[in-house]
This record gives sequence, structure tokens and C-alpha cells, in this order.
Amino acid sequence: MDSNYKLTLKIKRYNPDTKESWVQDYVLEVGRILRFTDLFRKINNELDASLAWNSSCEHAQCGTCAVKVNGKPLLACELLVENAVNQFHTTIFHIEPITIAPVVRDLIVDLEKAYERVNEAKPYIIEPAKNPSQGNDYQIFPRNLERYVDATRCINCFCCATVCISSHKGFLGPNAVMASIVRLMDPRETARKERLDTLYSEKGIYRCHTSKACSFVCPKEIDVAHFIALAKEGRFKSKDSR
Amino acid sequence: MPNKFSISSTIQCDVLIVGAGGAGLRCAAEILEKRPGTNIVAVTKVAHPQKSHTQTAQGGMAAVDPQDPVDKPIYHMFDTWKGSDCSADQNIIRKIVESGWEQTVWMENHGMHLSRDENGRVSKRTFGGHTLNFGETSAFRCVFEADRTGKGIMDNVWGEALKGGTSFINQAIATELVFKGDNCVGAIIFRQKDGEFVAVLAKATVLATGGNGQVFKVTTNCRQNTGDGLAITIQAGLPVMDPEAIQFHPTGIVGPGILASETLRSVGGILRNKDLEPFMERYAPKMKELAPRDLVARAIETEIREGRGILNPDHDIEHVWIDLRHLSDYIHDVQIPEVSSFFRRFVNLDPKKDLCPVRPSNHYQMGGIPTNEFGEVQKSNDELIHGLFAVGECAAASFHGFNRLGTNSILELITMGKVAGEKGVASLGNERPELPKNAGDMTFSLFSKFMEQKGRDNPGQIREEMRMLMTEKVGVFRTEDGIGLAIEVLEELKERAGEATLSSKSLSMNQELIQRWELHNLLSVSTFIAHGALNRRESRGGHFREDFPERKDQFNYHTLAFMTEPGQVELGQRPIDMSIYEERQEHYEKFGMIERKY
Repeated sequence: MDSNYKLTLKIKRYNPDTKESWVQDYVLEVGRILRFTDLFRKINNELDASLAWNSSCEHAQCGTCAVKVNGKPLLACELLVENAVNQFHTTIFHIEPITIAPVVRDLIVDLEKAYERVNEAKPYIIEPAKNPSQGNDYQIFPRNLERYVDATRCINCFCCATVCISSHKGFLGPNAVMASIVRLMDPRETARKERLDTLYSEKGIYRCHTSKACSFVCPKEIDVAHFIALAKEGRFKSKDSR
Repeated sequence: MPNKFSISSTIQCDVLIVGAGGAGLRCAAEILEKRPGTNIVAVTKVAHPQKSHTQTAQGGMAAVDPQDPVDKPIYHMFDTWKGSDCSADQNIIRKIVESGWEQTVWMENHGMHLSRDENGRVSKRTFGGHTLNFGETSAFRCVFEADRTGKGIMDNVWGEALKGGTSFINQAIATELVFKGDNCVGAIIFRQKDGEFVAVLAKATVLATGGNGQVFKVTTNCRQNTGDGLAITIQAGLPVMDPEAIQFHPTGIVGPGILASETLRSVGGILRNKDLEPFMERYAPKMKELAPRDLVARAIETEIREGRGILNPDHDIEHVWIDLRHLSDYIHDVQIPEVSSFFRRFVNLDPKKDLCPVRPSNHYQMGGIPTNEFGEVQKSNDELIHGLFAVGECAAASFHGFNRLGTNSILELITMGKVAGEKGVASLGNERPELPKNAGDMTFSLFSKFMEQKGRDNPGQIREEMRMLMTEKVGVFRTEDGIGLAIEVLEELKERAGEATLSSKSLSMNQELIQRWELHNLLSVSTFIAHGALNRRESRGGHFREDFPERKDQFNYHTLAFMTEPGQVELGQRPIDMSIYEERQEHYEKFGMIERKY
């Protein structure tokens, strides 16, 4: 049960001071239930304190530790050694930063830049609807909430945007458009025209090629492609469509 | 020693918010609503505000709905007072409890996706310690967004702060508060990405830096919760209140530290030691697994201490088992699917077939930077530091006293964020502060030392030793000898830290440098926790002294701890506010020094 694995992590590194980029191998003897964030910490404490990587909650609830492992974007905090070996059928792992924003150092990317797309999608209520019961909560029936609540679970880890075959070519990206779609489905939002203008703009959903890679990699198991499909089929055009 | 650092630029703003989590950004949103166009700079240590610790809160937020036919604010006030082990401040309890529903409506109206009942109204559920009629029966008082309430709040306040035009400085730390006389005029900020020090001058500065969970080996806290806000406050010679008041949750999942909630025990989960004995029967024959949090935590620690724990070499810290194997598929699949999935996801165990590892996990810091009811930071009991506010987990007003009730933390951070925002707006003058000549000196001397050290010790290793020491000696169980030893060892660790070398001397995105700074903060905060715990020769809430297991009236006060010179901690007192009791209105007798028995 506590058998050890001997892993080779081939980590892509980048030094912003010298602008050098290289792949560094780290060989580790590790237990089966350590997570990849634990491995990075182990490297820092035992082998190489200079390796830079990012994380925050390490509970799969913040999305800071997204990296590419053997090409697949995922959250390092929830990838266990044993599962990684079984999933990828190897003990050699190529680890790279996600490719959605410039690399700051090693595995750390400039998430602020990545978030610019989310900011463009305005992740808040632009113009609130009049609340019929002023001073109280809006009345939203569970069956209505259920239509979009899954999309509200997005943590902006940018795994979907990393894997999206369109997101480097002027597309806002799956998570960003989904943030806007949530508010189109939210009865408390009235700025529908502004949202639709963005969704159907040059950067909008028609950039999407429906590869559904977003849904495939989402660590929160959100069917991102489903929400984009709703927008594509024009579900939000008429006023009573929410 | 020549100083190679300098302030690369100075930013002027109206309000500087250090820490862009729930409390900090609720404060920003309030300011922008009251005074649109206010120039706010919000600094966060993480990559983006959405990555803050607030994001991980699961349960919900306590709030008494005025339309509720049976619940009343006075019941919530009583529960909070009793839960605090009679050491919260009653003026704060009243203020926060009374604004609970208003805060809920604000969050909902601004777009939070709170879970709904069948009538489309905000849904409510029960939570431990929240009762009707002074302990008679459970209250439905907790509003929630499924199992991700904190995320809902974080998305919401970040969205509002963004909409209002807040400028964010992400992945940056505040290394020093800047003062002009007794006025705080901003802070020195180190931007990690480009490795530059900037001075941010502000008419009001708000500390909202979160907790210090990384002091302990197993914690539910985020990686960056290293007590930085407390440390820069201590460094400025200001007090910290009740540092010894730390909450441990009995069942953290070993490894990630994530909570395995009370639900597991309430549906029939059994705690077992290495001999598979259901040991709770020995500690609480009637309540067994359902005994209060602190009792369960102590039972588990006792089992471990007496050699009946289990050690998995991967995690290198002993634990006990929670046995869920006998529960029906229905319970697993319908009642506890999320927590069940945590075990699968983070330790690769199937709770239907396998025993699952749990142990007490550090959860919350009840104490913090002392403030008045407006979040204004106190220099002493009757003096304020003008222009400086503190809100959220880093602050203590104090709403939680020595033990926090579940769902009260989010209520507190939202309310105090709002209140400080209101007060901050009202206090904004026209005068632009100037950069004092000595601003940055403290930071530069500290960082120069970090860079120039030439020993062989590894800061990561020292940090791990410190976390283990604090867990063993100043954790769930505390004794005179244990704490005394911890204080000695902390001094040794500080010396060793002074000889640890950084392998990279770069300033840009050098996480080793940040970790070295964090270690400095953690050691400083740990010293405060230990001194507070040593002095308090009684047991109260989360602070349990094995050698003094009862609460004592002579300790009916808040600890105020100051650093007089490096390593020297001086202790003072702040009285507990008992205004509800003293006003002698209806039910006042419930707010005396009552017993905390459930």
C-alpha cells in the first residue's frame, strides 16, 4: 500500500533575468498519495529551492496551480502520484506552464494577463434589474438557477483556455465567455444587449470550433461547451429566453 | 552595509487595501458605492483576488432573517457569546449580528448565486452551535451557496471592486507600514513579478491579510496564510490581540488539510485508532463522535500521543481513522458525496471500502490586530492609529473571542469590511500624504540580510520544523513546559533562519526570497502565540491548557501582546466589552460569564 514510485519530472524552466529557457530533470522517490504540489515542495526543500511554481488553496478550489502535465492542463494539487502513473502510463512527466499568458518564471504565468479576457466579459451584474421586493432577495426558483448554476462553479484556472484550439487567435476563451453567459441567464441582469454584442463580436463565440476540449479538461467537470452551444444556437436572443 | 534596494516609484491613492480577499474587497465595494470614483489600490499576495483563502469557505454565512417566524438576533448573539467562551466583545456581537440579513441581501442583490428554497427565496440550513431560544433547538440560520459559499462571496466582491474601478496589484506583498507621526499613510509594497519596491501612499490603509494557518503542520488554510499582516503590525510596534486563540478542527484530511466536515460523524462515521478501537466511547460515552469540536480534537490527539495513531510515510504525521465503510450507499452517494469525493480525490481512498485518515487541523485565528467597532486599529486601549484599519481574519474586533462558530467568519468579514469602508470614506481628507524619508528602511535592511546570508541551512526545512514544533507544543494541547520549550526552540530557529542562504539572488519572482520573508513572519507570529498561551494559565475556547483545564475569571480579558525589542514580548490586557449584559435589557442574564456546556 505504501509502495514508492521513482519518478522523473522534466520541468520546463525559464529565467526572466537571463531570458534562458531549458528543461530540467528531477528524479524523486515518492509515495503513492503525494500530490504534484507536494512534489514541487519536495523539490524546493530537498533538491532545488529555486524552482518557481504557484499554488494557493491546494484544495482544487482556486485554480492557481494549473500546469500542463504530459500535454494535459490540470490542477497539480489534485494529481496524485499513483493516479498520474496510471493515467499517463509512465513515470516520466513533462511539466510545463499553461500557455494562456506570458511566463513569469518557470511554471508561473502572469495570470493577470490571462484574466484580462475575463474582465472584458464583465464578471458582474452590469445593470441590475428592478427588484420587485425592494430590500429583499430576488426571487429565483431553483429550476431556473439549475440551468446556469454549474457555470458559476468555474474557478478561472484557465485549463479550458489552454487547451482550446481557438483561444490563442483572438477568442475571449471558454471561461471568459461562460462568465458572460452566466449573467445572460441570470434574471438579475438587464444589460443583455451589451453582453450579446460582446458574445457575437469578433472575439466572441463564433471563434469556437466546438472541439469540446474545454469540457474534457475542466477540473471542476463543468460542461463548458454546453453553455457556449446555448449561446451559439441563439438561445439568449429573445427577451424571455432566460 | 551598503544598501542596494530603493523605492522605484511612489503611487498616490485615496485608499490602500492590503489583502484582496472577502473582507478587503467588500470594503472596496462599499467605498466605491458610497463615493464612486474613489481611487483604491488593492494589493494581493496571490496571483489574483479570486485565488484568496475566502474562496475555500464551504458551509455558509449566519444571518437572522427578520421575516423568520422563530429566529431572533438575540439568539444569534447568545450563541456567539457562548461559543466564544465568554470572551467576544458584546458591542461587536450586537453590531455584526444585527447587520447579518442586510449583508445577505446586499450580496444577493449584487449577484451572488445563493442556493434557493422551493419558493425561490434564499435557502437556510442549520449549523453547529446555532440555536433558537438560547440553546433549545437548532436554528435554520445559515445562508449558503451550495458547498462553495466563500467562492460565491469572493466572485461577487471581486466583481464589484472591478466594476467600480479598483486598481489591483497582484502577486505583491506589503513589507512595511508607513507612518507620519501617529498617522498611517500607506505601505511599502514589493511587487514579486518585476521585483520592485513601490511606496503606496494613501489617506486610509486597510489591512485584510487573512490568517496564519501555516504556523501549523496540518491546516485548512491556503499556502500563503503566513500571518504577514500580523507580522508587519508587530514590526511597527503595534499590539496583537489574543494571539493564543487558535481554532483546530478535529477532522482535517491528512495531506491536503481539507476539512472532513462534521457531517461525516453526524451520519454515523466512527473514529478508530490503530487497533481499530472506536475510541470516542471512552471520552464521551453518550455523545461519542458527536461531542463538541474541541473535545473530539483532544480525544484524537490523546490517542496519537499515547501511541495509538497511524503514520503514513507520505504525509509524515500521525493520524487516526474515520470509518465510513458500514454506511449505506445512499448515505455515501446522497448525503456525503462531496466530502466522500475529497478522500478519493486527495488520498486515493474509497470511503465505502477503506478507512480514511483524519487528524486535528488548524482552522482559524480568532485573535488578530485589535480594532474598535469601526475596524480602526488600536495602538492601546484608548488610542487609535489614524488612517489604519484592519478587517477579516487578520483583525480582532472581537466577534469570535476564543472560539468561533461555524458560518460566523464570513458574516464577520463581510460586515467589518463594509463598516470599515463606510468609516474610511467618511475620514478621507484632501491632504495628500508625503513619503517620509525613512520609508522603506526597515524593509531594505531586512531584505538585505536575507540576500547576504551565507550559512548552509534551508529555510524550507526550518519552516517544517517550526510547524511541527507548534503543532506538538502549542497546538490542541498546551502545557507550561511544552510552551516554554517551544519558546526556546523558536529562538534557536530564528538564529538558524538568520544563517539560511538563498540559492538565487534575483528579485523578480523569487519565491525563495518570499518564503524567507514568510519564515520571518511565521517565527514572529509563532512567538506571539506561544507567549500568549504561556501567560494564560487557564483553558478557554480553542486554548486548552492541560495543566489548567478550567476557565478562570481572573483571565476574563483579551491579551494584548507587543514586541518591545526583537524577541521580547510584553503582555497587556484589553477588557471584554459586556454592554449587552450591563444594559440589563430583556435576557441580559444570558450574557454574563456563563458556562460553555452543550
